[in-house]
Amino acid sequence: MSVEASQLPANNLPADAENISLRGFNLHAGPFYRLPDDGAVRRFAFIALDKHMNSVGTVHGGLLMTFADIAMSRTSRLATDAKSCSTISLSCDFVGAGKLGDLIDIRVHVTRRTRTLVFMSSEMKAGERVLMSAQGMWKITP
Amino acid sequence: MTAAPEGFTEVRLVDPFELHVGPAFSQGDVGVRRYAFQVQAHHCNLRGVVHGGMLMTLADMTLGQAVWDVTDRAHSVTLNMQHQFIKSAKEGDWIEVVPELTRRTRAFVFMRGDFTANGEIVMTTSSVWKLLGQD
Repeated sequence: MSVEASQLPANNLPADAENISLRGFNLHAGPFYRLPDDGAVRRFAFIALDKHMNSVGTVHGGLLMTFADIAMSRTSRLATDAKSCSTISLSCDFVGAGKLGDLIDIRVHVTRRTRTLVFMSSEMKAGERVLMSAQGMWKITP
Repeated sequence: MTAAPEGFTEVRLVDPFELHVGPAFSQGDVGVRRYAFQVQAHHCNLRGVVHGGMLMTLADMTLGQAVWDVTDRAHSVTLNMQHQFIKSAKEGDWIEVVPELTRRTRAFVFMRGDFTANGEIVMTTSSVWKLLGQD
């Protein structure tokens, strides 16, 4: 089985998914998408392509951490209207394995926002299967 | 494309995602092996500094190779990785790390690393790995 970006099963992604992979490493590692909010929860998704995999046929941990970082960084900016926020720390538990072709989504929750910091947690799933839980803090760049 | 720094050889990457973001280089023997990675434009974010996701991917690659080394190539999975982002690095910088074994038990490996650029720490990572088939 081979999955290329041009062959994305379009019906897997909601029509209102917004491509947020425009430049740099986000584009190189993506494409990643923003999904409509669920109340205060920010949602993002991507489809696991060939380039995202490791040699044992599961999605690479580095790519999952990249997706968490991109989703949580974007959430920190949405929560603060800051132009830029920097990751200070991120802890990732690898709960389950992602597979080629999976539609993988993440839900990001802001735990607390202070004047200079945003604390967040997130849960990443493929369908009902949990792949990762992550928590971290971001600094608001003035 | 990056050429190997003097004394380093290119790491033979096999994971498609690592081939997609590589190359990486290493020198030295098991336990004191040093890894080097040069930041290129496509590893950076909009602010022109290396993306956290790229640094975390490098951590997964290099600490994973170190786990592979110390377990004599046992199959393992990453259980947890914790990263602290200390300082930024930019295009052209070389990121280096010498992974350090914190502890190995029958079923777990604890591995950490300080990732440096120009002699200063960019990121510290600690990680927990589970050896497959061991309770």
